[in-house]
Amino acid sequence: MRTSPLRGQVAAAGALFSSRHGVEVVSRFGACRAEHAAVRDAVGLTDFSFMRVFRLPEEQGIDFLDGLVAGNVPKIRFGRVLHTFLADRDGLLVADCYVANNDQEFIFTCESILPDPQLDVLLLAAGLREANAEDLTTTHALLSLDGFKSWEIVKNIFGPDTVGLPYLSIENCSFGGEPVCLLRAGKTSEFGYLLMAPVKGAAALFDALKSETEQRGGRLCGVQAHDDLRLEGRFFNIFREGQRVRDPLPLGLQWMIDFDKDNFSGCAAIKQRRTGGLRRKIIGVAAQSEQAALEDGARIFHEGREVAEVVASGFSVVLDQPLALALFPVELAYSGLSFRLGAPDGPVVRSLSMPPIMPKSLMVKLDEM
Amino acid sequence: MQQTIARRALVIDTFKNELIRRLNLPYTPEDLHEDVSLLGSGLGLDSLDALEIVLCIEHCFQIKIPDENVAVLRSINTVVDYVLEQQAQKGGRA
Repeated sequence: MRTSPLRGQVAAAGALFSSRHGVEVVSRFGACRAEHAAVRDAVGLTDFSFMRVFRLPEEQGIDFLDGLVAGNVPKIRFGRVLHTFLADRDGLLVADCYVANNDQEFIFTCESILPDPQLDVLLLAAGLREANAEDLTTTHALLSLDGFKSWEIVKNIFGPDTVGLPYLSIENCSFGGEPVCLLRAGKTSEFGYLLMAPVKGAAALFDALKSETEQRGGRLCGVQAHDDLRLEGRFFNIFREGQRVRDPLPLGLQWMIDFDKDNFSGCAAIKQRRTGGLRRKIIGVAAQSEQAALEDGARIFHEGREVAEVVASGFSVVLDQPLALALFPVELAYSGLSFRLGAPDGPVVRSLSMPPIMPKSLMVKLDEM
Repeated sequence: MQQTIARRALVIDTFKNELIRRLNLPYTPEDLHEDVSLLGSGLGLDSLDALEIVLCIEHCFQIKIPDENVAVLRSINTVVDYVLEQQAQKGGRA
């Protein structure tokens, strides 16, 4: 199993580990809800080294990546990041991806639901080697810094120029003499940064970020908290609803696709399904009480018949109630409706507009602080 | 339930079609999931587009969006919630 270059540091800090698609991840350090709340109120630091990362020279990388992912790679402006996905030949999701245009190179990241060897087969068949790609997955660590106060830490460590970075952009910084790639990204709906550092300098960077995080009332987080944060912020999660549904269209990921392209992986299958029309799509549902078993796979009923299935479930710390995404037929996929959970006479669940929360980070203007 | 769906579907269809037309979005109405983020991630619209969205809502539904109410513009669904709420208030006053 692949492990993080920061395993020693996070283990010493009390990490509890689990496995996800052949990669060891930090599930949590302590109480998941406390980690979740830390991101909403202060800041959370999470080891994201489970992601695959590649560096490609611009000249060879541009055609390779454009023929691979669903988004339009040549349209990515210098210093900006494209959020898109990688599908297999059948047009089913394989990875949630960022493609960053970083001067003379592209940085390509994957949150993959394929184990490393299987993803490698797919990428090699698409021409990864011919594109002169460098696999940084084991030579670099990735850290995610998320939360209302995360920008303060980035400013302290990398300087005031980082404050104005727009969402989905990339900046080259340094720490302790080592290069650090700073992606203004994140999937929590609070301010977020993804930091990529070579293994040599990663431990020192982790220690500095941890210290700054704790000074601000934040804490180390695991991926369990991120699963709930993504659900609450209605960010796509490949490891939850993505893995369960696989088809990007019912998941509402059309915005990640350039439908004018006809060469990306899975393109023909996705376009064929699009032409056939959407029959089901996911919407948010909330239970009125914590006792309701709003769990993955739970069935939802309407007028005595089963109509939907829960595909991702969690707990909203902000709303203080269970929250989920469920796959409904399009004719019922509207918010503001009541259904029954688990049985025709089960507890009431209500469909709701997502995202259901207003994060603190959206209520401030950094240039006015 | 059918009445609730019909009322909501009408607002959604009107808003999506006008949004696509005004911003020249390369999508069909069916492509736009109602939860997709309008600004930042998702459709990735910028502050100028946000102004266009506000004008779109005002034009389609004769409803004003207060300057400070950024929560309304988070997704198509949050826009639709606001429009339905305002329409209900107007109806109540009529």
